[in-house]
Amino acid sequence: MKYDVLIIGGGLAGLTCGIRCAEKGLRTAIISGGMNSLHFSSGSIDLAGYDEDGEVVKKPFDQVKKICRTRMDHPYAKAGLPVIKKSMDFFIDKTSSAGLTLNHNADMNHFHITGLGMLKPAYLSQESVFSPRGLEVVNSREKIAVMNFKGFRDYYPEQTAAYLKKNRIFADREIVLGEVSLPWYMNTQKNLNEFRSTDLARIFETEKYLPRIAEEIRRAAGDATTVSLPAFLGINNYRAIRKRLEEMTGKFIYEIPTLPPSILGLRIDHALKDSFIGHGGEFIAGERAESGPSDSGMLEYINTRNTGREPVSAKFYVLATGSFFSGGLTSDSQKIMEPVFNFKVNADGKRSKWYSWFFFDAKSHPFLSYGVETDKNFNPVNDRGRTVENVFCAGAVLSGYDPVREGCGGGVAISSGFACAEKITGELKK
Amino acid sequence: MRRIETDIIVIGGGATGAGITRDVSMRNLRCVLIEKNDLASGTTGRNHGLLHSGARYAVKDLESARECIRENRILKKIALHCVEDTGGLFVTLPEDDPMYHRDLIEGCRFAGIQAKEIPVRRALQIEPNLNPAILSALHVPDGTIDPFRLTSANALDASERGAIILTHTRVTEILRSGTKVEGVRCIDSKGEQLDIYGQLVINASGVWGQEICALAGIELTMFPSKGSMLIIDYRINSVVVNRCRPPADGDIIVPGDTVSLIGTTSLEVPYDKIHDNNVTDEEIEVLLSDGEKLIPNVSKTRALRAYCGVRPLIAVSGESTGRNISRGIALIDHSERDGLDGLITIAGGKLMTYRLMAEKATDLACRKIGVNRKCTTHKVPLPGSEKGISRKKRIKEFSGIPDSVVGSTFYRHGQRLQSIMTKEKRNYRLICECEMVTEGEIEYAIKNLNVKDLVDLRRRTRIGMGPCQGELCAYRGSGLLQEYGGASPEESVELLHDFLEERWKGVRPVLWGDGLRESEFTYWIYQGLFGIARPVKTKKKRTDNK
Repeated sequence: MKYDVLIIGGGLAGLTCGIRCAEKGLRTAIISGGMNSLHFSSGSIDLAGYDEDGEVVKKPFDQVKKICRTRMDHPYAKAGLPVIKKSMDFFIDKTSSAGLTLNHNADMNHFHITGLGMLKPAYLSQESVFSPRGLEVVNSREKIAVMNFKGFRDYYPEQTAAYLKKNRIFADREIVLGEVSLPWYMNTQKNLNEFRSTDLARIFETEKYLPRIAEEIRRAAGDATTVSLPAFLGINNYRAIRKRLEEMTGKFIYEIPTLPPSILGLRIDHALKDSFIGHGGEFIAGERAESGPSDSGMLEYINTRNTGREPVSAKFYVLATGSFFSGGLTSDSQKIMEPVFNFKVNADGKRSKWYSWFFFDAKSHPFLSYGVETDKNFNPVNDRGRTVENVFCAGAVLSGYDPVREGCGGGVAISSGFACAEKITGELKK
Repeated sequence: MRRIETDIIVIGGGATGAGITRDVSMRNLRCVLIEKNDLASGTTGRNHGLLHSGARYAVKDLESARECIRENRILKKIALHCVEDTGGLFVTLPEDDPMYHRDLIEGCRFAGIQAKEIPVRRALQIEPNLNPAILSALHVPDGTIDPFRLTSANALDASERGAIILTHTRVTEILRSGTKVEGVRCIDSKGEQLDIYGQLVINASGVWGQEICALAGIELTMFPSKGSMLIIDYRINSVVVNRCRPPADGDIIVPGDTVSLIGTTSLEVPYDKIHDNNVTDEEIEVLLSDGEKLIPNVSKTRALRAYCGVRPLIAVSGESTGRNISRGIALIDHSERDGLDGLITIAGGKLMTYRLMAEKATDLACRKIGVNRKCTTHKVPLPGSEKGISRKKRIKEFSGIPDSVVGSTFYRHGQRLQSIMTKEKRNYRLICECEMVTEGEIEYAIKNLNVKDLVDLRRRTRIGMGPCQGELCAYRGSGLLQEYGGASPEESVELLHDFLEERWKGVRPVLWGDGLRESEFTYWIYQGLFGIARPVKTKKKRTDNK
């Protein structure tokens, strides 16, 4: 047996779990099919953004505590408040060691600004989104420049500005628009007008361009002291880039997440992968688990796409394959399924019950809460009705919570991934 | 209050209404078209886009069949960029009555439709995805037609000839003086009232014609018949595939643009239910299982959307059930029928015969106002269809731009390509990657084609109609709509919201497999990442916090 722990899925949940296992000295591998949901996230981590009535939560841990008490099927109730708290500290610590600072507002939620100028609550954000200095800037009455790059098709600052203006905090602030152009970069064969955020992030990461970008920002922002930019201040050395840009422009630079790929999310993704590998974990990309027998109540091994008939085995497995979009759940016109092991899912039987009548119904959609049914140890149930004791489930593949309506997708992924690692290390000690 | 004087007022912006507006304008009369929603947003845009050869009607309704083949030939000439001359097959399944095949050949001969019997092997060569168990095959001159482009091209031609096109404008009153209709009172989307006076009002509002007549104080009874269709992702057939049997549910698969459509069901609905366009799970079941019989791959292909339309059938004779009521044209002169001057109604018919209906209505209108000018709509090509542009010329003229991008714009707008595409890099960048819609095409549509919201923009360009149903391009479209002055930034976000709700209506009935996956992603982007649905509440909450 090659591994102590084999984690299926390299997203937020799988990586958190993997780092914790590897840190504890377990032989840990993650197999990952491709991009994870961080690539289209805001890059802020939400823990408990909205309460049952859809109202914004101020103190997320109070809301988590309430959930732990009242909703036994919620992953938070299974992880328990102490583990959730510990997992958050762990996450902040690990990303920080990998060079990415995540700030919180003294355990309260803060808001981050979306591309449409809406405010969304979050627990953790990067410095360019939430920091003590950012808070000062928000509370000052100074002018804001909402900027874009000329020809960037994935962001429209006019919309951000219009909706910020509708918000009471910004209603009496002067908000101007500005456009940064990169004419000196036009000698490329590529169509600059079709660049995505990652292409632009690459320009920022090219150090020699920074002074010119800074000059453009200064010119376009005029006397505004705060500048918001669509998020692409580099992926790996973003902290240094942002610092230099702030020095060169003399302005506070705020980042707004745009259409995917999300640079803010990619930074977290990279930091987590670095951390996992740094702790000795093995990250296997481009691989997919396809099946595995668990009739006995223990998963014996798994078959993967690339290893063919050679099964891969481990003492423990973590299923962190995500929801529908990531392929952790699938459906046909009759039913919802967990496609790898055919574990039992919690879902409505009739298709007409899967969704709400309106796309943006305040109640969101039932299918967002569907997922694998687990017991209090995050163990799933196989198609013979037996609990599979050496498999733990984490993240969006779990049922019992709505990541969007409750604003808890990040928190559940991190805490359930962490909780699974704790359970595994506990089992191994026995 | 605004006031407009004109000659002819047309109510209804479907193919027929737009066709009449064009016809009237081509006879040098002033014309105003009023549409309560958008062009082709009613029944016109809710059919399967089949350019009938007439074969479908050749056994039971010879007159309709003859009309179809005549118009089929005309449209292939005047509407080049709206039509695809794919050809069609009628195939007999083992469970079908083999005699119908003979009847059909006979009927086609009477109607003047070139129907050619071909060996099954040949049919399978033409259409490799076809059910190999078919017993016989007949080749007919069916094709496909895009109802959105067709209607838009008619409206564009009319407006270039001076007609006024008022979309998102609703008739609230028929202005009468005694027994004479003098005009209409309407209200636009901003709530502004507008009075339009003319010599004659033509009611071309299809199934909604009953309401218009009620406003005029007369009675006209429609027998709405609902037809549902299913769009499957990918174009799985290259020619129209018909089932060789008397018309029934789920017996036709039409390729169109990048997708294929399975049609249709037929269900009588009470008049007060014409607005809830919901496709039931049972209808989906029928369409999928019957579609699968023609092309077995159907069940393995992703269902993209389902939608339905309401046929505006008028019971002229005594019949009153869906498929049995003639789909023939009903032209009503209300001065003869009801003693009300200045109003005529045109209804019934099909998308295929829109031009003929327009011609008949305009002929009558001209007679009534004492104008003697002949119809020329069958001779003059629609804007964009004047003549083709060879691929060679396209490549030469637009070198540097991917040919697929140039080709998509050309496919949708024909010769107007030249007023849309430039070699400026921003112009040809892609906004909708599924359907290859460029910024230039969007700019052109916003400025020239009566686009008031993102749903209108979709009908003109196909933005958001591909496999992703607007995942990224909806946002880009909303951004561009406000950049090009089609909406304020604030409105553009509301329109984005509405657009995604509209897309959802069609996705909802087929929400499984990749469709569910895609919807989850779209929800993540717009609600999770952008928080689009919370503008009001967040604002209120922030106020409380202070």
